[in-house]
Amino acid sequence: MSQTTQLLFKNRVPGNTAFIKEFSANGGYQGLKTAMQTMTPLEIRDLVKASALRGRGGAGFPTGVKWGFFPADKPGIKYLVCNCDEMEPGTYKDGVLLQADPHQLIEGMILSAFALQTQVGYIFIRYAYEKQAENLRRAIAEATQAGYLGKNILGSGFDFELHVHGSAGRYILGEETALLNGLEGIRPNPRLKPPFPAVRGLFGQPTTVNNVETLANIPHIVTGGAQWFKDLALTTDGSGTKLFGLSGHLNRTECFELPVGISLREVVETYGQGMWKNKQFKACLPGGASTPYLTREHMDVALDFASLEKVGSRFGTAGVTAFDEDTCMVAVTLNLIRFFARESCGWCTPCRDGLTMVRWILEMFESGKGTIEHLEMLKDQLKNISGKSFCALAEGAMGPVAGLLTHFEQEIVDHIERGRCPFSK
Amino acid sequence: MTTLSADAVRSASKKLTMPTLTIDNQTISVPEGKTILEAAEALGIMVPHFCYHKELGAVGACRMCAVTVHTGPMPGLKMACLIAVEEGMVVTTGDDASATFRERVGEWLMLNHPHDCPVCDEGGECQLQEMTISSGHGIRRYQGGKGTYTNQDLGPFIAQEMNRCIQCYRCARTYKDYCGGRDFGVMGSRNRVFFGRFKEGMLESDFSGNLVDLCPTGVFTDRTFRFKSRAWDLEQADSVCPHCGVGCATVPGGRLRELQRVQSGDNSLVNATFICDRGRFGSGYANHPERPRQARQGDQPISVGAALTTLETQIRAAIKHHGPEAVLLVGSDRASLETNWLLQRTAKHFGCRVPVLNAHHHRHQTAQMAAFDFSDQLASLQDIRTSDLVLVCGVDPLAEAPLLALALRQAVRKGGRVVVYDPRPVELPCDYDQVAIAPLALQELLADSGAEGRHLRDLIGQAKAPIIVAGADLLGPVGFQKVRKWAEKSSNAERPCLMYPVLAGANSFGTALLSLPEQDDLLTRLDSGKVKMLICVETDPLLEAPDGERFAAALTRLEQLVVLDYLPTSLSTHANLFVPTCPPVEDSGTFINNEGRLRRFQQVIKPGQSLAVGEHPSREFSLDTPGSDPQPAALLLQRLIGRELPLAELHRQLVLEQPRLAALTKLKAGEAGSRVTPAVARPQFIDQLPEQPVQTLELVVSPARYGGDLFSRYAPKLEPRKRLPCFYLHPDELQKHGLKDGDNAVVETDFGSFRLSVCSQPGMAAGCVLVESSAAFPQLIPGAGFSYCVISPGGANE
Repeated sequence: MSQTTQLLFKNRVPGNTAFIKEFSANGGYQGLKTAMQTMTPLEIRDLVKASALRGRGGAGFPTGVKWGFFPADKPGIKYLVCNCDEMEPGTYKDGVLLQADPHQLIEGMILSAFALQTQVGYIFIRYAYEKQAENLRRAIAEATQAGYLGKNILGSGFDFELHVHGSAGRYILGEETALLNGLEGIRPNPRLKPPFPAVRGLFGQPTTVNNVETLANIPHIVTGGAQWFKDLALTTDGSGTKLFGLSGHLNRTECFELPVGISLREVVETYGQGMWKNKQFKACLPGGASTPYLTREHMDVALDFASLEKVGSRFGTAGVTAFDEDTCMVAVTLNLIRFFARESCGWCTPCRDGLTMVRWILEMFESGKGTIEHLEMLKDQLKNISGKSFCALAEGAMGPVAGLLTHFEQEIVDHIERGRCPFSK
Repeated sequence: MTTLSADAVRSASKKLTMPTLTIDNQTISVPEGKTILEAAEALGIMVPHFCYHKELGAVGACRMCAVTVHTGPMPGLKMACLIAVEEGMVVTTGDDASATFRERVGEWLMLNHPHDCPVCDEGGECQLQEMTISSGHGIRRYQGGKGTYTNQDLGPFIAQEMNRCIQCYRCARTYKDYCGGRDFGVMGSRNRVFFGRFKEGMLESDFSGNLVDLCPTGVFTDRTFRFKSRAWDLEQADSVCPHCGVGCATVPGGRLRELQRVQSGDNSLVNATFICDRGRFGSGYANHPERPRQARQGDQPISVGAALTTLETQIRAAIKHHGPEAVLLVGSDRASLETNWLLQRTAKHFGCRVPVLNAHHHRHQTAQMAAFDFSDQLASLQDIRTSDLVLVCGVDPLAEAPLLALALRQAVRKGGRVVVYDPRPVELPCDYDQVAIAPLALQELLADSGAEGRHLRDLIGQAKAPIIVAGADLLGPVGFQKVRKWAEKSSNAERPCLMYPVLAGANSFGTALLSLPEQDDLLTRLDSGKVKMLICVETDPLLEAPDGERFAAALTRLEQLVVLDYLPTSLSTHANLFVPTCPPVEDSGTFINNEGRLRRFQQVIKPGQSLAVGEHPSREFSLDTPGSDPQPAALLLQRLIGRELPLAELHRQLVLEQPRLAALTKLKAGEAGSRVTPAVARPQFIDQLPEQPVQTLELVVSPARYGGDLFSRYAPKLEPRKRLPCFYLHPDELQKHGLKDGDNAVVETDFGSFRLSVCSQPGMAAGCVLVESSAAFPQLIPGAGFSYCVISPGGANE
């Protein structure tokens, strides 16, 4: 447990799941009751906008702005979809949250649905999160029983029904438009944008897709206020707390709720309790497998969207994966690229075949057959894949490659010059 | 402001603007909504592309069409197929960034592509080859392993070679999205994406052959054509499919006097770039082993010249001895406009009575309704594709006009609605409402009576662009008159209600338009006993008109039977004098399709023509080679009357007689084709419906999807798609008659008694027996008017 104010993890007891009794006892559904009785949907949307909450699913798009695109006042069926297809290597915070406290998400979704005036919600959950899906189903039943879901919620006249839907188990389903296709039961290729989901989403109707953690924050913003929420962050342009999922060569690899803007050093040394086996920190993925590496020179960078962009990386999902000094970064990158190339949906050429080519180049380095020409090819691939694919998958896949070329080009050259991986014994 | 209202504002200001943009220093104005790719194309700048296809649209998958937008709402490297043009946009296609990126795309696409071009059937017409070259990719840098696939057996029409796939998704978009096929799609992910069926087996769609045309590389090739010719060795020309009245643009290819394949042509108003499998794989009649290629007098071969001389002498003698009624010339709806018109001229030349241009009188009368009374309100297939309401009355599109089914699908994809009124269990490759209704009841419905009639009227009233599709065979002239009334009543100055007649033959409309009021019915004229000499040009009334028995009887009273044809029909074997003619692929001429559109076809191959293609060593065939006798019927008729004219002069004279065909003189093959000018509506006749005899069922004779039309009966490639004949009945009807699915039954009809097994068909109307017309029952001819039958159990299975 960290020293930070605990919002999302306030009911978390490792090994236990808080259901409606524990959740309600600790202030659960208070935000919903207050809001439904005293606030208009527009007021909630304005509040979320003022809170500067940014999406917690990886892209970090301001939630209030996204909601601003949503035709909340348009009559007709509209959907709220929760993206819980958490499948990026190094990211597991949503799984932990739903294991600990499923009602957090449900309260957040009801509030968001009220704010956006959507009548139907879906929680699209990763196939492997069986336990979490079970928790959610039970929590939905409890919330329905208590009158928080269904018809005329808390006498407000507002109706909202919520369903849990399992994902087909590929990474691409986390892309919001591919997710919508998957939810509709058709092949989950990403959709062409525009039209954006806010205009034509699930079953052709206006739809907002938000991440689990994003939605779980809404009740806290409603109860605590926008300024309070903003002030939880350590950076001036940041906002709120964040679930940090630690992994890799650390002594402690757990998920913590920490303030946005905490330094990498504090995360690694205090919460990760330093590198394992008394080794040195070499690099890390700051926000999941698709974010460019940070190195020792970045230990004091504040972990937040703006500050990480400034050093050429991304805050992503705040899944911090640390690597010790004996790690071959070419091998790490190859491992990640293998994942992304495997998870490409196969729709567009740069992703389907470009990542195959990148994987082959990295394999050449790692097996000692790489040449300087291959290095030039890799740079050229980076230039031509990033930003030029149909959706963000290939761009994300090239994040670690960008980091490798920025910070560890010498390591590639070492592979070429020695004709083998310098880290292999 | 929400995004939606912003869109609304933008669309409101979007009125017929023509943004001007600059591409590679050239300026062009194109209609708003067009993409950079289309604007570049209009300037003659070819931006390499794969997944974009003008009929399938843009999906942004291949990333090949990258260009750089310098000035515009979102500058940078963009996909030309996805970005709509904007005023003042500045675009370059050859700059470093976009050229390099396209080269990379070329390289990526070629990572797994095998170097089997020398043995690939796409060779010579491979878009991958062209686009790879134009992308600039040449030297392979990737040395890793190539992916390989196990191919599927997709049946006799389509060969699959998945290793060549570059994942442009065009096949799935063609087969599933455009054509509505359900047994083919995308499987797998990443660089293992597979396009095929869930299990091996014959592709089910009646439009499967379009995979061949749409695949930009050699994954899907025409299995019936594979390894026969290289594309550059083929003789090809713009033609028109003769299988039905739709008049689809085709590009047949032949070599060494053999018609080897048919591909789709491009006619944006008719078939777009798609054709049906019947048209594509049903061309075997042109090469049929039994095709008569030798002129004969009795059993004796004679030269064509001698045959014509004999014919002339015999005609003159018959007229001299028995008067102008003695010689009867018969034309056909599968013969060209020119041939039919020349028949009229031949009759005039010899002084005999006007020819009968269609042996099937009932069909002819209905076609005349279309050609005269519908002619100011005819819809095109393109109108159907963009309609919001299409009422399909008495048509089974997949059997009678397959491309109509595709047009209906496109209407539905755009949000339109299709309602089918038909006794048959009509299947369509889209969502539609069906009212299964017996033929007589359908006539009553069209007479605007009852609740369903009112419902229909309301539907049309609310539609923005309603179209009534009317089937000639089922509705007949009586029904067509009612459809005409409906359309008239439902039209106003701002919003006409158009009609699309579905006629039987490629030139039904044309023969109806040409025919003269005094031509009368073939059988009536034969039964008068005055006819001594019958000359059938490209028609076999035994197979193509009802009441074959009566016709056969009339044949025995003749002194001379002369047949000019290219099909091995039974009539040609009975002929006293036979002269072989040419199918449309060996002739140039004109058909008029269902929508009154003049459709020119050009000669593709010549029987016995000497062959020297390009630089290839010449392969000369003497005109004396066996089988080189056939000549176009139009040419034979001109030789017969001793006046051979160039086609242009022939057309000039034809237009003088038929001013409605004014567009004929400027018509070119490969063009969309203009329409005939509207006729003055004729006076309406009194339409009285017959009384159905008690204890009978209505007999519905419908063409089989494959084998219904005469051409496909002589097309061996279509055999796998042909179905065994049976009687279809509604399950309630079966029960009423004490029959079970699969039982044998005897059906007594006006055309004879038939014994077949019965098949339960819940999708059809009660009170009917449905039987498909095919080679198995040549006596049963669709479009013969109302007919009744009695069904009884037919004993145990043998």
